[in-house]
Amino acid sequence: MTRLARPRLSTLLLVLLALVWFYPVAWTLLNAFKSSADIYRAPWDLPWPPVVGNIGEAWSRGQLGVALANSAYVTAMTVAGVLVLAVPGAYSLTRLRPPLRAVLLIVVLAPLIIPTEVLIVPLFSMFRALGLIDSLPGLAVTNVVAYVSFATLILVGSFRTIPRDVTDAAGVDGAGRFDVLLRIVIPLARPGILAVAVLVAVLAWNDFSASLVLLQKPDTFTVQLALTRFSTFYATDQGLTFAGMAIVILPPLLLFLVLQRSLIQGLAAGLVRH
Amino acid sequence: MIESRTRMPLLRRSHRESGLDLLFLAPTLIVLAVFLLYPLAYGLVLSVHDTQGFDLTSFVGLENYGRAIFGDAVFHQALATTVVFTGAAVVLQTGLGLFLAVLVADVGRGRTLLRFVFFAPFVLASVAVGAVWKYLYAPYFGIVPSVGSALGLNTLTVAPLADAHWALWAIMAAFLWRFAGFNMVVYLNAIQSLPREFYEHAAMEGAGRFERFRHITWPLLWPQTFTLVLLTTIGTLRIFDMVWIMTEGGPSNATETVATDVYVTAFRFLQVGYAQAMAMILLVIILALTVVEYRILDRRAEAVRL
Repeated sequence: MTRLARPRLSTLLLVLLALVWFYPVAWTLLNAFKSSADIYRAPWDLPWPPVVGNIGEAWSRGQLGVALANSAYVTAMTVAGVLVLAVPGAYSLTRLRPPLRAVLLIVVLAPLIIPTEVLIVPLFSMFRALGLIDSLPGLAVTNVVAYVSFATLILVGSFRTIPRDVTDAAGVDGAGRFDVLLRIVIPLARPGILAVAVLVAVLAWNDFSASLVLLQKPDTFTVQLALTRFSTFYATDQGLTFAGMAIVILPPLLLFLVLQRSLIQGLAAGLVRH
Repeated sequence: MIESRTRMPLLRRSHRESGLDLLFLAPTLIVLAVFLLYPLAYGLVLSVHDTQGFDLTSFVGLENYGRAIFGDAVFHQALATTVVFTGAAVVLQTGLGLFLAVLVADVGRGRTLLRFVFFAPFVLASVAVGAVWKYLYAPYFGIVPSVGSALGLNTLTVAPLADAHWALWAIMAAFLWRFAGFNMVVYLNAIQSLPREFYEHAAMEGAGRFERFRHITWPLLWPQTFTLVLLTTIGTLRIFDMVWIMTEGGPSNATETVATDVYVTAFRFLQVGYAQAMAMILLVIILALTVVEYRILDRRAEAVRL
């Protein structure tokens, strides 16, 4: 009797928790299709008939088109920059001999405990001197610096699973170091590299602290900055704000739905290594 | 053993090769030196200077640090809030993550769906999560008023974020919502690779569910706990974005964290050197807590790995 009851209770609890977890997102998406008056008047009602105008107005008034393009640009540059640095870097760290390797591993991983928030003031100062305020490539550079250590850490874990014999054999056959990396290591470590790319893309897309300080002209705003505009300027028009939030929330959710496996597995594999 | 034997004849050649290997790492090292080490050094310089705007005026030694440590009540409060919030986040996130992982691991069907639901908030931006929860806590149409009126209570004007007693914990709930799934996924992957025989054996000996968790799952998951506690500590001590979006540190500094204090002091009050001194204190705290936790946790994690 108890044997049967127990798993049921935990399943029930789990379903309940899942509903609680799902609620904020569902609530936001539903409210995006309501008029502000209805949001106040009947918070539990379904948006029927749906108010489609919110979405279009949020898109144009929040300048979300520009913001999405800016975010995509910064994210793409960040992912490219991180991979260009971390792939050869991680490869090097798996090849180097112990004393040197240990030292360099610490040097490369040390930034993990130096958050952007701690360096934001000198970074702003430095970027101002370099003329990189309101510069999207400049923002991408701060992102690259923030995520390259984490990426290297995961890639070292991934590259270590490639048997040394395989790369050595290619080396004996006369393939240069670069060839081995390009033709053997990268293809074999594709899942790990893909996971890193997805993870860095998510982190870069979501960045806020650095962009808040480094981007000041509205036409350079990323999606996250554009969103802050909603919750302050349009605070009186709730339907519009929810529509803005829905537009910002949906792309990462859909991307995650597609790439769930690769992201989760890469994450777990990379984290447990050290 | 085997490795060293095969490498022996290559020793001479490998010396030159490690120079080549080093070259692959050089770009990373250069970028880190320019955009991390330099700002860090300049930050140190800033913190011991008086500033006019973002320019240095005069060297003041440790005066900024003294002022922050001994004479700034808001900073003290921010420091306490940050540490308390981090402690709570470590316990709650790890605990809830593990709880969810254990439950989800037992589910026969729908595991992927559950994993998606719990992990999804992690891929949302902190700004988006902050904004959604800010509205969820709104008076009149937020969660408390809606549920309250459905139950017949008069909660229409309840606004947790505007209440100094509740604001921080309201933010904590949003924080948990966002990160518990991440911890769950890390634990879940590990649970699924634990040897089944342990559990079968324990079940045969008559160990109950809780006993099996306590004597098998919990100790074997220590490496994950170790990683997650460290990650959460480092990730939460820096907390800025969610707080900034939801309360900007208010009401009356009740949710001020060190990072929001630094931001306001530097970019609103333009006390740049002083703000950087506070940032450096935060860095020292992060370093110290990381080292302490590492020391304590690593001893046990090592035992599991062997």
